[in-house]
Parts: sequence; structure tokens; C-alpha cells
Amino acid sequence: MIEASSLGKRFGTLTAVDELSFTVGDGEIFGLLGPNGAGKTTTVRMLAGLIAPSAGSARINGLELGPQSQAIRALTGVLTESPGLHDKLTARHNLGYYGRLYGLRGATLRRAVDRYLGVVGMSAEADRRVGGFSKGMRQKVAIARALLHEPEVLYLDEPTSALDPSAAKTIRDFVATLRDAGRSIVVCTHNLDEAERLCDRIGIMRSTLLKVDTPARLRRGNGTAAVRVDLVGARRPESFLGLLAELPFVEGARTLDGSLYVEVADPRGDNPELVRALVVAGARIVGVVEEAATLEQVYLDLVGETGQRDARVGEEAA
Amino acid sequence: MRLGYVWAVITKEGRDLLANRLLLGAVVFPALIFAAIPTGIVAFIEVNDLDPDQLGQIQSYLSQFPGLDPKLAAQGFIVLNFMAYFLLIPAMVPMAIATQSVIGEKTARSLEPQLATPMEVSELLVGKAISSATPAVLATWAVFLLYGFVNGAIADPALTALIFNDVWRVAMISLVPLICLLSVLLGIIVSSRVSDARAAQQIGGFIVIPIIAVAIAGFFSGQASFTMDQVLIGDLVVALLIGVALVAGNWIFEREAILTRLG
Repeated sequence: MIEASSLGKRFGTLTAVDELSFTVGDGEIFGLLGPNGAGKTTTVRMLAGLIAPSAGSARINGLELGPQSQAIRALTGVLTESPGLHDKLTARHNLGYYGRLYGLRGATLRRAVDRYLGVVGMSAEADRRVGGFSKGMRQKVAIARALLHEPEVLYLDEPTSALDPSAAKTIRDFVATLRDAGRSIVVCTHNLDEAERLCDRIGIMRSTLLKVDTPARLRRGNGTAAVRVDLVGARRPESFLGLLAELPFVEGARTLDGSLYVEVADPRGDNPELVRALVVAGARIVGVVEEAATLEQVYLDLVGETGQRDARVGEEAA
Repeated sequence: MRLGYVWAVITKEGRDLLANRLLLGAVVFPALIFAAIPTGIVAFIEVNDLDPDQLGQIQSYLSQFPGLDPKLAAQGFIVLNFMAYFLLIPAMVPMAIATQSVIGEKTARSLEPQLATPMEVSELLVGKAISSATPAVLATWAVFLLYGFVNGAIADPALTALIFNDVWRVAMISLVPLICLLSVLLGIIVSSRVSDARAAQQIGGFIVIPIIAVAIAGFFSGQASFTMDQVLIGDLVVALLIGVALVAGNWIFEREAILTRLG
């Protein structure tokens, strides 16, 4: 479990991260979204015990950041922004080196290297020097490196960048299995589609967290979803507005272009009841669609255009 | 300091070096060339009759080799006089390896994943220092032994005894490793400030100047080679400089500084 409380990081006069508080539970994937220079990498570096926060505190699986950073690093896996492999070494030797740094030895190390080369589909390339690898292949080896010691906490910075769709899906599926195994996972990404597919909750940040919620709730913005009900038949949609106003879970309703737009808090729970009530009242329904904002719209509304300040923070923090 | 981490770094750096033919050549060739030049002169003197008139300025040094005939004394002077180069190998080679290692890591951005492990920065640096210094120390010792035996075989066993004298045995055991370590530390420090390995080596190359200066000053003051006093003072000075470099290196290579400035 990751518990960050009012974390802050300053580089000279520049505040890269400010008042950052969030928790990531066991078996949860938490996405960090934000423009370049929003402080995502700095946040991960602080939580992974690489750099010291200027303010605030954090506990990782009960260990306190700072005094217990070395122990935190031992139970943490980090996929860095850049693969950072040793070009002259083979994929196997790269992983072997990191395995030793994470305390693996002998047969345990060899098994782990073989296993994770297999997970990322690189077994056939194990004994080739990584200097000759494509960007995607390097990324796969870097992912294997982050997983090698089976960390309880995992930070993945753009995990599927440079990967083809099939490899990206393999990695996403594997990350999901790690979540199911109870790991706490933080994913930094610009890929909103990936964040929505992979993450249980998403934090949108720009130095500080602007909003944290599940992808579905973020899309709904104000907490309700507009459900569009398409009707056919003689009865006009307006004739159902009175009925809808009496339903306790309906928070608003209107008509547009021959369809009903009904606002509900929980479409998955409320839609069956809504459909039943309309059918009982004589509606002939041909479609029910949840009309939510895209995550991209929500993201852009929150962070706006990337300003000069962000670029400066990025340079300083990198 | 946990030796397992240091050993892991040494093993990795060793593999890296063995895979880098250019760098491996930089370890072996300077040592061989430094040894080959005087050996060639010794062989030339051996196969040609020595005309004392041709010895010129060297003649004044021959009295430092009592008991040897002029030809052997001239060969003795040559082999000893060139031995200052054996101190240039540990000054230059480890720096080449260390700068390549650190700047290579900067270019590949591979420092961050290493620092994300439980390894301490000091363990990483000690591993790098040992793995950069060891090839140069071994190359210097190997070529020193080769130099002694080959020249003895070409001319006379007395040359072998002359080369393996007390001063140079002490220099090989103490001064060579110390110069290697200083060279590595300077290489690492300079590498942290520049982004090009050649620039780092050029800046760090100033380390050879004091060695050459002492050798040249000795030559013009009538010494065929270093004295024991010079070697011991050299040990002391280099050890002090290592202390200064360690303090500077510790400041430069703080984990956060590496990530924000070098990573």
C-alpha cells in the first residue's frame, strides 16, 4: 500500500510537486495523468526512494520514506521513463545484473530471468546484446527488469510506449494479473485510453493532484451520467418526463432530437430500473446509451493547455 | 558496504569492458607501446656495435651502473629511463574506462534504474572504481613483467634485475594502484561535468603532467630513473589527492544529484 501525505518537492525556487496526497491500496492500479513537467516522474522518484521529498511524508507498505528508503527500494519495481539498459550486455546479462542488485542469486535468479523474459516475449532474444534491439524490444526488457524480483509495489512510467498493440495488450494483461495478486501499482501515462482500460483510479495532476477518481466517475464529471434513451412509436418522448420526475434515482431529464436524456448517479445500477419503469409506462425502447464525456475532455478541462511553467518544471526535474 | 553489490557492479562492468573492443584496445596497446619502444632500442644496441661517441649526453649517466660494461650500462639507462611511462598507463587507462563508463551510463540513462535498487551510491562507485582500475593495474604489472624478462632475454639477465629493482617493485605495488584510483576518481568527477567521453579524457589527461614533469626533472638533474624517496613522496601526494577526490566525489555523487543532474 502506498500512502502519500502532503508530499512536495522543490528544485531551488521551482515547485515540481506540491501538497500531493493519495493512497494506492493493495491490488489497485492507480494512474497518474498530467502534462509534461506536471511532476509525475518526480512523484515516482520520491515514492520509490530515489529522491527525498522537500515536504510531506509517505509510507510504502508501512515503511517510512527517508529512514527506510533502502528497504522501500528493495520491495519496489520501477520502470523508468527511458529503458536505461546496458547496450553491450545481452538481455539475459542485463536482467541478471539487476536480479543480483535486488538480492536474487543462483537458480532463483536464473528462473526469474527466464520467466520474465518469457512474460515479455523475449526468450528467443535472451542472448543477444540489447544494443541491437528495437525501441519496443528494449522496453520489453526494461519491463522484465522492473518485475524480476516480484515487487510488492510497482511504478510504471509509460509502460506500453513503443510497444506494438499486441505486445501492449500482453503487458496490460500481465499488469492486471499483478493487481489481482495484490500488488500496488502506479502507472504514469499520457495514453488516456490505456489509463482508462488499466487503472482502477486515476489522479490528474499538475504539480498537485487536481482530481482523483475512477475513470467512469471522472468521465461523468459532476457525478451523474446522462443516459440517452431512444424511443419509437406514437408517444412523444416529452410525455414520459412527468414519470421520470417521480423516479427517486433520476436527477434530471430532458428531450432532444426525439430521445430522452436522463441523468442518473449510477448507470449500471439505475438503468435496468429506468428501462423497466419506461416500458411499464408504454415506452417502446430501441436503445439505451450512457452519454459520458471522454476522459480526454475531462483531462483537458482540468489541465488546460500545457503552459511554459510546465516545461520549466520538466527541465528542472529531469 | 555490501560486497555482493560491489561484486555485481564489477562483474557487469567487466562484461561491458570485454564487449567493448575499442576500450579493451585502449587498455592493452598503450602499455605494449610504452614497453616496445625502449625494448626496440635495447635490441638495436644489442645487434649493433656501440660507439661510445654516439652515446652523447647518456654517457654521463653510465656511472650510475657500476659493474656493467658501457653497452649494458647504456641499455640499462634506456630501460630505466623509459620506465616512467609505466606510471602513465595507470594514469591514462583507468580514466578512459571510468569516463566511458560514467558517460556511457549518462547517455543510456541507465543510472536511474540502478539507483532504484537497494544498492547504495557508494557501492556503485566503489564497484565502478575497482572495475576501472583493475584492468590498468593488471596491464601495467603484466607489461612490467614482460618488459623485465624480454629485455633480460634480449641483452643480459642483469637488465631483468635492474628493471625489477627495489624502487620499481615498491612503485608497482603502491604507486601504480594509487595512481589508478586517483585517475578513476578524477575520471568520474570530470565525467559528471561533461557529456563527451573524449572531452572528459582530455580534461582528466592533466593528471599525466606531474608524472612527466617529475620524470623530466629527474632526467635533467642526472637521474636515470625515479628514486625511492620520489616514489614514497609520490605515494603520499597521490593518497592525499585521492582523499580530496573522494570528498568531492561523495558530494557530486549524492543519489539525488545524480538523478537531477546526470540521470
